[in-house]
Amino acid sequence: MSYAYLFKYIIIGDTGVGKSCLLLQFTDKRFQPVHDLTIGVEFGARMITIDGKQIKLQIWDTAGQEAFRSITRSYYRGAAGALLVYDITRRETFNHLTTWLEDARQHSNSNMVIMLIGNKSDLESRREVKKEEGEAFAREHGLVFMETSARTAANVEEAFINTAKEIYEKIQEGVFDINNEANGIKIGTVSTPTNPSIGSNLPGGQSSNSCC
Amino acid sequence: MFKSRSWFGLTSRSPKNRLSLDNLKNLLSVLEKNQTVSENNRGLLVESLRCIAEILIWGDQNDGSVFDFFLEKNMLSYFLHIMRQKSGGSSFVCVQLLQTLNILFENIRNETSLYYLLSNNHVNSIIVHKFDFSDEDVMGYYILFLKTLSLKLNSHTIHFFYNETTKDFPLYTEAIKFFNHPESMVRIAVRTISLNVYKVENESMQQFIRDRTAAPYFSNLVWFIGKHILELDYCVRNDTDHQSHHRLSNLVAEHLDSLHYLNDILLLKIEGLNAVLTEHLLHKLFVPLYIYSLTPQTPDLAVVTRNLAAVLNKIVDIDDVQDTCDNPRVSSIVALFLLSLVFLVITHSPLVHALAWVILNGDHSVFKEGAAEVLNNYIERREAVTLGFGQPRESLEEALDSSSSINLSPVSSEKASSSSSPRTHPNSESTVSVSAEASLSDEMEKVNITDEEKEQILESSLNMQKSSRPFLDMVLHSLDCSENDYIALLALCLLYALANNKGVNQDWLDLVLNKSSSTVASKYNGILIEKLLNIIHNSSQPSCRIRLVTIELTLKLLTQLLGTNPLIIPENHRASLLQARTQSMTVLKNFYKSEDIFLDLFEDEYNEMTKSNLNVEFLCMDSAILLPPTGTPLTGIEFSRRLPCGEVEKARRAIRFFFLIRKMCQSINNEVEQLLPLTNPLQCVQIDNALDLNNSDLIACTVIMKDGTKYRRFLVIDVLQLILVEPDPRKLGWGIAKLVGFLQDVEVIGDKDDSRCLHLTIHRGRPTTNRMPILSAKFIFDDHIRCMAAKQRLTKGRSKARQKKMYQIAQLLEIPQLNESPTPIYSSMLRESRTARTPREHRPLFSTSNRIPGVASALRRESMPSGSVSRCQIVNRSSVEGESSRHRSSSTKSSTPISTPKRDGSKNRSHSGTPKSRDSSPRVLRPASEEIPLENLNSSSPSSRCSSNAPSRSHTPSRLTTDSTNGLSIAKEAVPTTSNGDVVLRQRSEETSFMSGINEDKEKRRKGMIETV
Repeated sequence: MSYAYLFKYIIIGDTGVGKSCLLLQFTDKRFQPVHDLTIGVEFGARMITIDGKQIKLQIWDTAGQEAFRSITRSYYRGAAGALLVYDITRRETFNHLTTWLEDARQHSNSNMVIMLIGNKSDLESRREVKKEEGEAFAREHGLVFMETSARTAANVEEAFINTAKEIYEKIQEGVFDINNEANGIKIGTVSTPTNPSIGSNLPGGQSSNSCC
Repeated sequence: MFKSRSWFGLTSRSPKNRLSLDNLKNLLSVLEKNQTVSENNRGLLVESLRCIAEILIWGDQNDGSVFDFFLEKNMLSYFLHIMRQKSGGSSFVCVQLLQTLNILFENIRNETSLYYLLSNNHVNSIIVHKFDFSDEDVMGYYILFLKTLSLKLNSHTIHFFYNETTKDFPLYTEAIKFFNHPESMVRIAVRTISLNVYKVENESMQQFIRDRTAAPYFSNLVWFIGKHILELDYCVRNDTDHQSHHRLSNLVAEHLDSLHYLNDILLLKIEGLNAVLTEHLLHKLFVPLYIYSLTPQTPDLAVVTRNLAAVLNKIVDIDDVQDTCDNPRVSSIVALFLLSLVFLVITHSPLVHALAWVILNGDHSVFKEGAAEVLNNYIERREAVTLGFGQPRESLEEALDSSSSINLSPVSSEKASSSSSPRTHPNSESTVSVSAEASLSDEMEKVNITDEEKEQILESSLNMQKSSRPFLDMVLHSLDCSENDYIALLALCLLYALANNKGVNQDWLDLVLNKSSSTVASKYNGILIEKLLNIIHNSSQPSCRIRLVTIELTLKLLTQLLGTNPLIIPENHRASLLQARTQSMTVLKNFYKSEDIFLDLFEDEYNEMTKSNLNVEFLCMDSAILLPPTGTPLTGIEFSRRLPCGEVEKARRAIRFFFLIRKMCQSINNEVEQLLPLTNPLQCVQIDNALDLNNSDLIACTVIMKDGTKYRRFLVIDVLQLILVEPDPRKLGWGIAKLVGFLQDVEVIGDKDDSRCLHLTIHRGRPTTNRMPILSAKFIFDDHIRCMAAKQRLTKGRSKARQKKMYQIAQLLEIPQLNESPTPIYSSMLRESRTARTPREHRPLFSTSNRIPGVASALRRESMPSGSVSRCQIVNRSSVEGESSRHRSSSTKSSTPISTPKRDGSKNRSHSGTPKSRDSSPRVLRPASEEIPLENLNSSSPSSRCSSNAPSRSHTPSRLTTDSTNGLSIAKEAVPTTSNGDVVLRQRSEETSFMSGINEDKEKRRKGMIETV
């Protein structure tokens, strides 16, 4: 599986808003949504095509890592895109968006594309947050907005792919430094990108020699 | 991702059938029949595994029998069997297996289901399986699988993962092998896993972590942090041009991540673990790399290094990897920065305390003896970790593998090695560390026992070390910024971080840095304050190269050191600060009025200053401070963290410094700010206030917004504000403010095609900033006369409001206000007061940019809101009238401008008496006579002002000539057509009526405001 670019995404938002379900829904279509079953996963990858180029999206859910400061401060960095998710049937998840956004803005690189997602749009009868409110919040903070449903798969594709398109445009504009992997973008390689013996072969004092 | 062809039979079933025990039984038979993975069946296997995950989760939530079946048939063993096969595209199947496992452990809600899943040892077998980690997807699923498991850890489930008898804990040991993985998300997961493991309260497990894994893990961790720092240092050394800013900021952020991770471990307060980590950090990184790099290599140090080599040679017999000859070194800039970060982030008392001790009291012997030898003066502490920054002998993986297989931990080998050196203790690593930790805290408690005892100990240690404290000397020496403030800023950061770290023993920090304990008169406190005051003194010079952030930090530190009680501040310190304030005012006077935007800058900077409170922690996240200070904004460095670029930024800097030093001086004198901000927001009309508008001048108008919406409003012009009101439905003659804006920010443009129409923009503060204006709309009035009137009153209001504020600034800067006294008296009085106050300082009101007489007035004319020249002249004249009446009335009251600093006072004066003086004073003469002093300020040359009275007067005629030409320009405009002349005349007559109207209005408005809210 070779690709032109790899974009790293993170998904953030309160617990229970359906982050991992969105992720699974997008990365693995074989899991057909069934009504009495909620399945999620915290990692996934999928190929998409933009502008005739193969792009791999690698998505990391960060659930359960909020307990330590060192962890929260580091996971925003190194992502090219972020999906900020709230649950349209629970107002408090919408109210917490500001905190999430502040965290993201403080720690991420300034070019990170953030998409606001109002999830569970299938539960119209239990809706607590109006679509207009989401739109207004997105407009105010310069985000792209979409309402999705992991259960009916509505807009799930669009959410991930539109984010990717925006990142791709930024690359074309030269905003992203694609040679810097800390930006969450990797230029394509053949399918073996990393060294198998990770963390063990410590190349000795290369940089130390140059500094003395 | 997966080619979906071969499993139609499985997916075409209806969901009801798909999610059932029956289907699970079918899937089991598929697994049974396809025990060997091949090209042909792998698609089927993958889909089966996927379906199993779905059914299990469904079963967990709906049908208990599903799980029973899964366990009964031992289906996990099939998983293991499949993943252990090398053939048949294993990574393809393994990805699916790992996804299934992830789904299983993430989505399971039933606690008993979890216990069942973990009960046989299959999960641990899966953990230790060597997957193909070069595959990104395998790596991702694997590490998140471990993370998910670590989130399930508690004192009950720990037994499923940690085997007490075999001393086996694969979840942890496998995970930490990836601590240095190139993928940041993997590293994050590893850190999460390790922290989740550490916080489980299980003594046996914690002992295992400490004895078997802590030394190898931490030594490798520390080594990689150190290597990373060398990279960072290389980046700083080779980037004087700010070219690799992104890379550097990434390196700094990465390093901070590591520090925060270490701090999170220390914060868990696991004693044994912290002892090991503390020693590794101190003896493998902080002392041999950070502290070592503080001072340059001296001959003295060369001896030390030889000694160090001698000591290390004994170890080299065993430890052949270690490079003993040249200890790597980073630049002192980087060293100060890194030490600052340590004290900003880490609060673990024994660690920061020992490090602070070395910096404040240590000498070069620390490199020979390690912190231990120096600390032995202070505490009983024995070495367990050999000193020196070097690569661990074994990689973490090797160390962990050997510890589990041969049961010979690298710790014991290190112990063996160090036991050959005379100073080390033959105990096992763990007990030494624990005792060291314990004795350290013991000793610290002892220090706290009684004040006398404490001071005795400290005094003796101070005396002993007084002769040589190279590190403290170096830090203090760095504060010298006669060249620039490159290293001084970092030294300040370190001092601030040291002084504010909760873990450092406050008592003896006070002793070194504070003067509060008077018995031991520390010379360092005096030197430090001297140095800080020197920075402030240098900053007050016009040509200094000190950044604002340095000044702010210096003042912050100084405030802390001087203490809160203003009475104990020595006179010479106070005098030094006050002198800096005077000097800053002198510098700022040069900018007063030299730029038309001076007022905007002034207010803007004040807002900026009140908004921002310097956060040193945030400052130290900015890698830009590691690079030499630069002036150009093209680097993207924020203004306060670089040098000013161009005249406007120099003005901004002068203004900001004035505010900072003014605040400082007020705090040491216990004064309360009374003159700032220039506009008291409490005195302003707010939106939705109800205003009594009886007898006020109201101009009806229709406001048309950009998007076409229209409003009918009444325009009211107050002293400082423009207010759009709509009638109050409840009270006749009252109005409700619907929009307010400051007159000083109003921009009025006439409409060429429609004489009843004005285009109005109300900016938000300084027009150069990109903020959206408060209002940008078209105003249509009932007829062109009202339109003209509105335009005049707006432009006049604008310039009056600005003049009023410029006058306030003049008061702040103690510029004798020329208009306050009749012209003849002015120059002599000015000279007297100036010579009396500060004889040496150079001409304050001289502007560098406007040396040529007349330039200033020309500039001002150009920068007026676009309109006809004649309007400008009228505005100038009428605004001057206000001034004249004001100073006339004030002079009759015989109050000098400086002695009436209160805002209200000046306002009242400008209100009262204005109409009378206007009526009585002849109009024609005024423009010339009033303009003189104002323009004089901007254009007279310094020599003429300074030397004597006569030359400054000699300028007056020249000013008169320029003004007479201005007068001519009015005439020219007015003469050609009679209709135009008519308009001009009418304007004037209206102007007088409006002026009185405004004044009445003011009186009324003040009443109205009392009634508002």
